[in-house]
Amino acid sequence: MTDSSSPSSPRRRGRPLDGVRVADFSWFGVGPIAARTLADFGADVIRIESEARVDGLRLGQPIKPGKTGYNVCAYFNNFNADKRSFLLNMSAEGSQEVAYRLIERSDIFLSNLTPRIFERWNLTYEQLREIKPDIIAAYMPMQGLSGPHRDFLGFGAVLTPTTGISHLSGDPDRAPVGVGTNYPDYVVNPGHTVIAILAALRHRRKTGQGQRIELAQVESVAATMGPSLLDYTANGVNQVRNGNKSSWMCPHGIYRCADDPSARERWIAIAVGDDAKWESLRAVAKGAAFTSDDRFATLLGRRRHEDELNSMLSDWTASFDAAALAIQLQSVGVAAALVQDAEDMCEHDDHLAARGFYEYLDHPETDISLYDGPIVKLHETPGYLASPAPLFGQHTYEVATEVLGYSADEVAELTSTGVLS
Amino acid sequence: MTQSALDGVRILDLTSEMGWYCGKLLADLGADVIKVEPVGGDPSRGRAPFWQGIPGRETSLRFWYFNANKRSVTLDLGHYDGRWLFGELVKTADIVIESWTAAERAELVEHDVDPDAYMEAQPALIWVSITGFGLDGPRAGWEVTDIVAQAAAGIATLAGYPDGSPMRIAGNQAYAVAGISAAQGALLALLQAEATGGGQRVETSIQEALSICQETAHLQWDFQGTSRERVGESHRLPGIGTYKTSDGYIFSMVGVPGFGAPWTEVIGWMEENGMAEDLTEPEYANTFANFNMRILLDVEEQAKHAPVLARAQEVLTRFYASKTTMEAYEEGQSRRLLIGQVATPSDIADSEHLAEREWWLELNQPTRLGSEDAGLRYPGPPYHLSETPASVRRPAPQIGEHNQEVWVDEVGIPAEDLIAFAGEGAI
Repeated sequence: MTDSSSPSSPRRRGRPLDGVRVADFSWFGVGPIAARTLADFGADVIRIESEARVDGLRLGQPIKPGKTGYNVCAYFNNFNADKRSFLLNMSAEGSQEVAYRLIERSDIFLSNLTPRIFERWNLTYEQLREIKPDIIAAYMPMQGLSGPHRDFLGFGAVLTPTTGISHLSGDPDRAPVGVGTNYPDYVVNPGHTVIAILAALRHRRKTGQGQRIELAQVESVAATMGPSLLDYTANGVNQVRNGNKSSWMCPHGIYRCADDPSARERWIAIAVGDDAKWESLRAVAKGAAFTSDDRFATLLGRRRHEDELNSMLSDWTASFDAAALAIQLQSVGVAAALVQDAEDMCEHDDHLAARGFYEYLDHPETDISLYDGPIVKLHETPGYLASPAPLFGQHTYEVATEVLGYSADEVAELTSTGVLS
Repeated sequence: MTQSALDGVRILDLTSEMGWYCGKLLADLGADVIKVEPVGGDPSRGRAPFWQGIPGRETSLRFWYFNANKRSVTLDLGHYDGRWLFGELVKTADIVIESWTAAERAELVEHDVDPDAYMEAQPALIWVSITGFGLDGPRAGWEVTDIVAQAAAGIATLAGYPDGSPMRIAGNQAYAVAGISAAQGALLALLQAEATGGGQRVETSIQEALSICQETAHLQWDFQGTSRERVGESHRLPGIGTYKTSDGYIFSMVGVPGFGAPWTEVIGWMEENGMAEDLTEPEYANTFANFNMRILLDVEEQAKHAPVLARAQEVLTRFYASKTTMEAYEEGQSRRLLIGQVATPSDIADSEHLAEREWWLELNQPTRLGSEDAGLRYPGPPYHLSETPASVRRPAPQIGEHNQEVWVDEVGIPAEDLIAFAGEGAI
């Protein structure tokens, strides 16, 4: 961990979003993750939570062994570091005034609620603009704010199929199985949202004008699939999944290596882009059957006989330690890497460790816990995590008095009527 | 006249395919992005798919998609005059983006194409490096491709079938994530530079950015000391997973508490279609009325209900197979069930929802094949900004298309000097 008292510590330097306040009405993955990047880079993010609608990630997995409650799930904690938790029950009478007071004192409003919900809570852009004319209001509905599928439900697991990723991923001979996670929730959709917010902030600094950002999650993911979509709209070619093969690199795939001593399967990814790299691979594999097979001498030959090459390559990799083989291949310039699992990432990846990507923060209920570092590194004004995830409602009083300017008596009154807790 | 969020920002984009998306995101938001290509063009111009299936450096749909809105100049950074020209161009820029390998970077620095030197001469300059593994650390010199990054980032191991190999997520997602990370960094640095006058180095490690997509795998290791494995559909409960329809597949995610309507809604839906069979009987009804997180997460609890779950699986599989994909998707969603169409590119292209939202753009792309421009129906932007919308204003550039206008009209190189530079191969 970085020593925050050292004069050279980044924690003493400014961050690009110092002084920017975010009223974060989002929940689950995609919204809070966008807000976490804003927090990493200095924004004061106030997470609106409530007992009536507890964020599902606070109730998810993994939890700290032996612990229970709202504060011990790493899924929530990782994505909410460096924020303040403010309990505001939007169903209670009088809550809207508190929400509006917060928005009035914020630069950015963020929500991944369905349109039905934020309309019910009177949090449309038109309404927010009345209270805070230069607000940047970012909405992240699944399908957008308009269109026949506007009210469709979903999250990453549903987006992966609806945007073509599932159809195009995996073995052509088997059903599309998806990608094993809620993939678009973690970088694609929150990252696009942050980009839009930062662009809008620049525009506001230049002109004083706020705006509405609408990120339809389905469009945001589809935007990453441009070439496949264009192949259809321009050529009428409806692409199909092609396993781990590439349209131009060969060999290109993931190959089984020797199991580790605990019988854990080990795999290596190898991608050979041209004949020079192929020669480098052959030199490393000296003596293996595929190296003396003339059919593989050219890219064309390798592609014609790709399945056979892959099978012979697998025969060769099968006896190797995957991590050591990756190092050996990389030493001659062949793109390769161990297929890492969580243990590799957290325990054995000397490179990630040397770069200090993961941050370990001391949390009151989960003790020293792992958090993802910032998604991008700025050398002079780096992002960092100033504090671990907030406890449920940890900052309600602080935010109500210091940010919203309520007196202690007013807070007590709002608490007794169930608006705050 | 529509305003752009990044009006007045000039960006030099020296990236290969790995870094294209960053410049596209910024160009679509209004930045003036100049692609600086080697003489003969960016080598990754030759990547499939191609327009009408015709391979070439001016016909790649992949190149077009990620490079529309950019202008193109060519120069040879290996050539003294090429480097001088580059230096003149950098003076006009706010941001430089590159995706050099460590070997390329070292060689360029040796030839005085040194990011630190440019930044020293120009304190507000922002220099964005998109790398596989970062600028330092033991693997900084490693080669990277999409599949290698997905392996190193801990996500390939989670994707695919448990009895098959780890799997790559389609769509060069490592490069998409690289661009998204780097564009965030570039904009953060831009806000900082415009506020303080200070530019800086911005660094994307694709491994790090992509590793955030491990979801909970690394967190589970930290808390519980176990690695998440790819499960495919092996732990499948009725209602959760991929199902065959009469004309394709759907992904169904029903019965998860807190996510849409409960399992009983599925039974009601089947009943209306006369396909609930015996699932309306009490032993099923009771199990599904109490379908909760315990059943979802606890293997022993699942074992207790195994016959009921197996029977429900059978009936549901038959039911979904009787529907078209669109029927299952739209009817299910109208009942607030979390169902997704496993869409093919044509399904997305034909989506009435996207059409009504006017997501698609129209663009005329010159092809240099002696024929007419390609009229393209072009995927739209990831977001809608009400005052400063992202837009595609010009097609992807041909190789060196803007040499004259950039070098002569904007940088101020005399036309006769440009002719000399071209003659010696510097541009």
